[in-house]
Amino acid sequence: MKTKCIHKDLIFYLDNELSFDKRTAVEKHLEECADCRSFLAFLQEGMQIIEKEKNTEISPFFYTRLSARLNENPEHQAQSQWARLSQPAFFLLLLFIGIYSGLKLGRNASTTKENNQATSVQMLNDFAAEPIESFLLDEL
Amino acid sequence: MDEAQLIKGIQQGDRKSFQILVETYQRMVVNTCLGIVHNKADAEDLAQDVFLEIFRTAENFRGDSKISTWLYRIATNRSLNFVRNNKRKRFFQSIEDTFTGGRNRNSEISENRGDQPDRNITDQQRSDLLHRAIDRLPEKQRAAFTLNKYEELSYQQIAEIMEISLASVESLIHRAKKNLQEQLLDCYKKKCV
Repeated sequence: MKTKCIHKDLIFYLDNELSFDKRTAVEKHLEECADCRSFLAFLQEGMQIIEKEKNTEISPFFYTRLSARLNENPEHQAQSQWARLSQPAFFLLLLFIGIYSGLKLGRNASTTKENNQATSVQMLNDFAAEPIESFLLDEL
Repeated sequence: MDEAQLIKGIQQGDRKSFQILVETYQRMVVNTCLGIVHNKADAEDLAQDVFLEIFRTAENFRGDSKISTWLYRIATNRSLNFVRNNKRKRFFQSIEDTFTGGRNRNSEISENRGDQPDRNITDQQRSDLLHRAIDRLPEKQRAAFTLNKYEELSYQQIAEIMEISLASVESLIHRAKKNLQEQLLDCYKKKCV
């Protein structure tokens, strides 16, 4: 009878993190199950990548480059930092100016409207001051 | 020269002490960064940033922990920040690609692969698959797994570096392996390599 695959235990088996009993059971299962053996090999190959990467050679000029960066003029660094900070500050300022002038323009526009209303009211008042009858009589 | 003398020298701006520190720990720092960023050039740049930070902030080092713990902590944090920023850049890049046809992204990938011309395709695919699986881990799991696998640090050392309890480290690494196993199994079933 085919037993159930134990894929979930294999990464821990590979890292030797299973109890003795569990490990024995996994080994027994691996003898019978080709699919689990194949997945174990797949996992092993994957984990070997880490081993290969661990042995990566470091550039022989590592310290030379680091030393050059350390020698960089601190004034220049401060300047570049200032430039980095000034850019967002400038855009923020621009945004505030935009918002402020927008509000100002909006306020002016509403004031002009009120003035227009006042003028038309005044005109109406002028008209009321001189009734149509007197106007027509003057023409005669 | 012991650790205390080394740190004292660096605090006084002594370049010789700094050079000894770099030569002693450069492999360790580059490996840690490489485990998280998966690119040798980026890992070396990040390692340089780590050492520069050490040189510039040496006076803040109180000596409560070992130099290596301090270095691991900075290297891990900087690498995770780098990955986070890269993700953000990639997001904007993908938006740009939808308008420009994705030429830039492809050239970047081929540049990354150009530093290992002798690696065969299957090795490269396997490596990409593992890196993608590690990248999908949550940050804390990724940091703990990398320190354990790439640097072969004990759970106790990882707990000190990450400033968490031993039980948390055990749990993080267990969950990281479980997640990796699930992702690799998924790929194994789909036969992606």
